[in-house]
Amino acid sequence: MTAQAPARKWIGQSIPRVEDPRLLVGRGGYVTDLALPGMVHAAVLRSPLAHARIISIDTSRAKALPGVLAVVTGKDVTALTNPMPDFGPDPSKHTWWVLAVDKVRYVGEPVAAVVATDRYIAEDACELIDVQYEPLPPVVDPIAAMQPGAPLVHDALGSNVVYHRVFTFGDVERDFAEADIVVRDQLRWHRSGAQPLETVGAVAQYNPATGMMTIYCNSVTFTFLLFLVANTLKIPSNKLDMVPCPAGGSFGSKFWAVRVPILAGMLAKLTGRPVKFVEDRLDNIMTSDHHGSDRIYEVEMAAMRDGTLRSLRINVIDDYGAYIQFGVGTHGNSLAQVVGPYKIQSVQYELTAVLTNKCQQGAYRGFGSEVTNWVVERMVDLVARELRMDPAEIRRKNFIQPHEFPYTIPTGNMYDSGNYAGVLDKALALADYDGLRAMQRKAREEGRYVGIGLITAQERSVFSATEFWFWFDQPTGITSSPESATVRVDPAGNITVTLYSQAFWGQSPETVVAQVVAEEFGVDPSQVSVIYGSSARGLPATGPGGSRFTIMVTGAVRGAAQRVKDKMRKIASHQLEAAPEDLEFVDGMIRVRGAPEKAVSLQDVATLAYLFKLDLPPDIEESGLQADYTFDHPYTTKPSPDRKSLGVFYPFVGHACHIAAIEVDVETGQHRFLKYVAVHDAGTVVNPRSLDGQIIGGVAQGLGTAMYEQYVYGPDGQLLTGSYADYLIPTAMEVPWVEIDHQETPSPFTPYGIKGAGEGGRMMTPAVVCAALEDALAPFGVRINEVPVTPEKLLRWIDEAQARRQARTGD
Amino acid sequence: MKPAAFSYFAPRDLDEALHLLAHHAPDAKPLAGGQSLVPMMNFRLAQPRVLIDLNRVAALSFVNDANGVLVLGAMLRQAAAERDHRLSAAVPLLADALPLVGHETIRHRGTIGGTLAHADPAAEIPAVALALGAELVVRSTRGERVISADQFFLGPLMTALEPDEMLIAVRIPRMPPRTGTAFLELSRRHGDFAIVGVAAQVTLDESGRIVQAALALCGVGPTPVRARQAEAALAGAEPTDEQFRAAGALAAQEIDPASDIHASADYRRRIAAVLVRRALSPSSTACSGEELVPWLIDITSP
Amino acid sequence: MADRHHITVTVNGTPYEATVESRLLLADFLRDHLGYVGVHVGCEHGVCGACTVLLDGQTVRSCLLFAVQADGCQIMTVEGLAQDGNLHPLQEAFREKQAIQCGFCTPGMLLRAYELLQQNPHPTRDEIREAIAGNLCRCTGYQFIVEAIQAAAERWL
Repeated sequence: MTAQAPARKWIGQSIPRVEDPRLLVGRGGYVTDLALPGMVHAAVLRSPLAHARIISIDTSRAKALPGVLAVVTGKDVTALTNPMPDFGPDPSKHTWWVLAVDKVRYVGEPVAAVVATDRYIAEDACELIDVQYEPLPPVVDPIAAMQPGAPLVHDALGSNVVYHRVFTFGDVERDFAEADIVVRDQLRWHRSGAQPLETVGAVAQYNPATGMMTIYCNSVTFTFLLFLVANTLKIPSNKLDMVPCPAGGSFGSKFWAVRVPILAGMLAKLTGRPVKFVEDRLDNIMTSDHHGSDRIYEVEMAAMRDGTLRSLRINVIDDYGAYIQFGVGTHGNSLAQVVGPYKIQSVQYELTAVLTNKCQQGAYRGFGSEVTNWVVERMVDLVARELRMDPAEIRRKNFIQPHEFPYTIPTGNMYDSGNYAGVLDKALALADYDGLRAMQRKAREEGRYVGIGLITAQERSVFSATEFWFWFDQPTGITSSPESATVRVDPAGNITVTLYSQAFWGQSPETVVAQVVAEEFGVDPSQVSVIYGSSARGLPATGPGGSRFTIMVTGAVRGAAQRVKDKMRKIASHQLEAAPEDLEFVDGMIRVRGAPEKAVSLQDVATLAYLFKLDLPPDIEESGLQADYTFDHPYTTKPSPDRKSLGVFYPFVGHACHIAAIEVDVETGQHRFLKYVAVHDAGTVVNPRSLDGQIIGGVAQGLGTAMYEQYVYGPDGQLLTGSYADYLIPTAMEVPWVEIDHQETPSPFTPYGIKGAGEGGRMMTPAVVCAALEDALAPFGVRINEVPVTPEKLLRWIDEAQARRQARTGD
Repeated sequence: MKPAAFSYFAPRDLDEALHLLAHHAPDAKPLAGGQSLVPMMNFRLAQPRVLIDLNRVAALSFVNDANGVLVLGAMLRQAAAERDHRLSAAVPLLADALPLVGHETIRHRGTIGGTLAHADPAAEIPAVALALGAELVVRSTRGERVISADQFFLGPLMTALEPDEMLIAVRIPRMPPRTGTAFLELSRRHGDFAIVGVAAQVTLDESGRIVQAALALCGVGPTPVRARQAEAALAGAEPTDEQFRAAGALAAQEIDPASDIHASADYRRRIAAVLVRRALSPSSTACSGEELVPWLIDITSP
Repeated sequence: MADRHHITVTVNGTPYEATVESRLLLADFLRDHLGYVGVHVGCEHGVCGACTVLLDGQTVRSCLLFAVQADGCQIMTVEGLAQDGNLHPLQEAFREKQAIQCGFCTPGMLLRAYELLQQNPHPTRDEIREAIAGNLCRCTGYQFIVEAIQAAAERWL
């Protein structure tokens, strides 16, 4: 049952988005729309080889091309810059420069950069750069990369295994020993990636007289870490100003995507001209620094005969590519919710991170936890199959119960609140689950192959910085991940909110801000102005990612709003001769509760605050009416030194149930959706329509990962999916109609009880699609444990299952 | 991803175009719809030094109907062909295939001649031309010749065109009476190139026996393939599901597909057999132009 | 020596003259030379549809046309949809139905929808999906776009 929400006027309304008017008329303000006087353009030359030593680079022909201002290679880069910021283990052993220096380590790695009067000439010049390579044997398969004697991606590391550790939470031995059944499987999750329609881009401008570097960029996150970017650019930290530009999509891939702004900045400083560098699509596919997880699993799940799930043993190998900028943070995400919504008591997690000659991983919607959702749900379905239990019933049996929250899972993370049975019941009703099963029975009688998948899984939100370093035994690491806002009421009584990171990736941060301000001040959201402060003018801001932004910006805006309102109350209380606590903000007025005729307008108070210092109450020290607020993560605790508890690092955990019905044509392996239902519990929802859009978009991306998208590398390390002809993004014809319902179980710890939900759709779909396909092919005994699933793979798995059956029955 | 530099000409008449081509061959490429050539130029996989834009040569865009043969000008837009009722009635197999060529926006520029001259082995129109025994009219400053479809496609993106020759028209026989057609295709997504595509045209006699079957497949080798053994087996046969299944099996043996990341050779062979059978069956023939990717079912719509 | 040509192009009713290099893509000409930054560049190989404009009344991919080819042509970009400051019913419907998230596919999507409704004033949801299948959207999963186009269809006529 959903807790009774307090009466709210704006939070919970599906108001039209504040962001849309400019997007509708082509005035989105994307970074590549910028044109500065004297601006020139950069392009990069990418490596054609997966692994090679750079013997020499002759740039003379390129430099001689009319219109070319500069050609820069890795050798120049070691003088012009410091290494790239890198949060991976032992960065000195896998040093990452903005251009390849001694070796190229993946196809597409930038080897040289050209600055020219236009992009066409810059690309002409790239073709005139002569690079002498000494090819080295590529290491492409992660298992092969782990073997002694494998070619090394980074010689200084001495191995391609950059991390290995076994974590044990709870009494795994006992739980497995006491279990009635143990199911095992090997699972494979191939790499796909965000591929937003807009690539990463930057326009950098350097003033040698002031030493100030200004970079407009669609990837400005972690503003309090930008001193690292300044360090790479070899400029003082207080001489870097990064200006956030709205992004045409990100889904994680613009999260700390610093290569592009650093390259632009370096070239601007070198040439003395403003430099625009925008990735083209090949850059973004090949060298985005943000490929998704690429994992090989061996998993065991221990259960009792009655369906109680006891324990999980996970052995995962993750192929990180040629660098590992975020360490193994994607597994932190996994461990945040590794037991799913279930009361599994113990977990063993063996993680091996391997480097290969591929583009490095970064972030993709879910940041690794969507993979574990898939793994856990596939194993639950395997247990259900063994025990002949309905997939809904086995899940219901193992749910953490509403009264058990806040609930600490074996890894130490906490789930703040939940009502999983409520969500399941809504999903079953919306899908008419019994009707679907009846339809399936009838279809099977007709010789059709229809499957129904049902999954229940978590969507954690708002990461703590701790998840990036509790993997190591270092004593300290970053524990801050704040978001800031400034709220200002101007002398005319109008409200402006300033945000300090590049907040807009396509979600609705400005709409959320407008709704929160409307709620707090009693104004209409359309009257609120949202602007962005650049980093030099800015407060610490993390930006979007990890489904954090709605909560964090709400906390920041609310905090700043409270400070402003306190000052306004003080001023108004003097004017109205009432106690400050008796005043309320309604319809643009501050009025006495119960005596609404005693009121002053926001404008009256603001005018007084700015212009009439001598008439202000003595306890108000300053003119003006604005406040900053830095909102820190509301609930983070440190890991234990022995890492038997990772602490609380991702506690605001939403939940969803997806149900899908799919029919398979077993002659071709093709499929079609008959139904798709999604019920999400993301706590208090600020703008339900906006959330629904995120869910459906996430489903489309999850479907892409499940059935269409993969970055395919050949045995020589060539990227075989180097264009949109081969990297298959679902179109309107592939994505099903998604029926949605909501439940709101608020968080006790967040502003308004909101939970983050931006990633949730993608975190569910691969599991439910595989479940439905497997159920469709149950007559053959097919087991689906790999994504992407393709029609050809389905036919192959049917053949293999039939062969296995024949071998067993001997006919 | 910007193209390399080139010299550009936009002739208004065919002779001028041919002279330009002759003069600049082999460094010149005619530009038709550009939907295949320009992406390659943007990738710099193609870097013609001279581009001869045919889009202003009005004389190359026409549909003529004479003596049981439809003659299509090479620059006839795919979308215009799709909307041409005479053409749909006279050559329904072409009408079946056209909606499966890319997306409508692409068909606004793409041309019949362009897709034939580009000769992508997975393209639909070449398979239709092959199935129907089309004749390709080719011209240069040296004169004109006619190449039959089965002599025209030589390999992936390779045709019998000499560097100074241009495709100017294609002749397709009008569909005879008592004939049904179907074009079926399996692709990963709607609008993609075919993994396997089948163009089928079947003519029956008064007693309902098959007089003649034409079967051509795309996506199954370096060029589109005419499944002649399957056709031969069908000639004179009853149009039964058993016969269609057998034809499918034969066709699968007549092709030698390659493997790529989207489909293996074995899978293509398997699909070829299925699609041939489905294209031949009466229900498929009736609702032709069907893509094998099923339509979305929206069971919540009122 | 670059191969340059003089062209005359009308965009959203405004005539322009320019001298352009032959290889200049129409998308870049519209954006960088004429300032129509509502034309978006997503892939430069004709797949994503973000660069869609209307050329003499038909949708085309402006990344697959050279500016020289548009000589004498009428072009409509998203900037031409609203008239006298009034949003087109499609734009209003997109706003109402929250058919936009990042906005990058939106201009191309709007123009393709505009074309669809001229050809087929009462499309079904399936027809809409097929019509926009050549325009990729990475954010919305298409559903609210389909709803918006249906809503606009009901209102437009």
